[in-house]
Amino acid sequence: MDFFSFGKIIVYIDKFIKFINSIFFLVLIIGLSFALIISPMDYLQGDTVRIMYVHVPSAWIGLSIFSIIAIGTLLNFVFKIKNLYLFVKSLAPIGLLFTCLAIVTGSLWGKPTWGTWWAWDARLTSMLILMLFYVFFIMSFKIFKDSEKLPQILSAISILGIINIPIIKYSVEWWSTLHQPASIKIMGTSSIHSSMLVPLFLMLLVLLLYCALIFLMKYKTEIIKIKKRNIKRL
Amino acid sequence: MLTKKIKTRLFFLLSVIFITLLFLAFIYFSLKQNILYFKTPSEIFIVDGIKSNSKIRVGGMVKKDSIQQNNKEIKFILTDYKKELIVVYNGAIPNLFSEERGAVVEGKLNDKSYLIADRILAKHDENYMPPEMKKILENAK
Amino acid sequence: MINEFLNMGGYGFYIWTSFLIVTVFCFILYYKTKKTLKKYEKELAQELEKLPIEHRKRIARSSKVISSILASQNKLS
Repeated sequence: MDFFSFGKIIVYIDKFIKFINSIFFLVLIIGLSFALIISPMDYLQGDTVRIMYVHVPSAWIGLSIFSIIAIGTLLNFVFKIKNLYLFVKSLAPIGLLFTCLAIVTGSLWGKPTWGTWWAWDARLTSMLILMLFYVFFIMSFKIFKDSEKLPQILSAISILGIINIPIIKYSVEWWSTLHQPASIKIMGTSSIHSSMLVPLFLMLLVLLLYCALIFLMKYKTEIIKIKKRNIKRL
Repeated sequence: MLTKKIKTRLFFLLSVIFITLLFLAFIYFSLKQNILYFKTPSEIFIVDGIKSNSKIRVGGMVKKDSIQQNNKEIKFILTDYKKELIVVYNGAIPNLFSEERGAVVEGKLNDKSYLIADRILAKHDENYMPPEMKKILENAK
Repeated sequence: MINEFLNMGGYGFYIWTSFLIVTVFCFILYYKTKKTLKKYEKELAQELEKLPIEHRKRIARSSKVISSILASQNKLS
């Protein structure tokens, strides 16, 4: 428990923020130059394939952050760990941002390739539902701020939302959709040529670093809020 | 290690999850048909209940050498390698639409093998590679 | 050469818009987060200022969070 004391955490947070700040722009420039200049165009889609380098990492981040906050909320509901609550609260807005970005960039990719901005197919609709769950989740922090019901409400949203995650993931395999199936599988080989995988993972790294930076800053803000509230008692 | 309070909450949580899953399964089975974005030409052929004046989406491959284009309209055959469907359309065509590629057409069925489309969407697969790589693959065939 | 790069084979609009949107929104979130963090740091430091100096020193010794924030605020001012 002592390891998780705010005093120890805040030292690491400051170190991490400094570290990310020092390497972020270097990684960003490398990532962008691979994504926009060095990587080849696709045999079929031409240069539009470059949208993939922001679309796919955003979608991955949106999905994984929701899984993390949902599991965190449920663990918090059962075990009542204060830290976990702050963790979830700091992470949620980042997930919402990237889910929205995945939808918007997907739309900008869909227009030149499919010929439409939007289609009500299973993948796109379930992604929109994920965005709504994020909105409910973040709204309930504000609406039920001082209510004792907050953990219950967050848990309910988490349960419903986490069921949606495998639906998003496998929607392209289970049902006929306009969206193409996944190119990168957890098991087995990917159907993206290696010269395109390099910018994809570089951009993923850039966005993950960004997420970590925002998360640490938000987490630090939450710690300071608590300290400020408790200042009288010190 | 688990206190009684924690056990109660855990039990409560699991029962909520169970009920939610049941509920979702119920929704899924009642909406099953609507989840599919498009039908295949074979499915159209089998199903009798398609009303000819309601809109429908059909997806498949554009058959090789089947595109006939004049200045007014484009006509092609959509196939799933079992059954074929003739599609007539006038309007904007997406850039990726071409022979032996996937497409989804939206429109009204005239009869089971003839569809008047008012929208065409191109569907692409999950393979991404540089043009040179594609050539190498094609030569290897 | 530059034009060709910006044009992206005719898809320039879609590609540049999507990269731009991602950059802009990421920056907005960064800016807002940073602003909130700075605001709370400052408020905490101000509240500590109000306390008598002996009390403040004792708090700074007992809490690493407080001492690190006081240190960063002192650097700024």
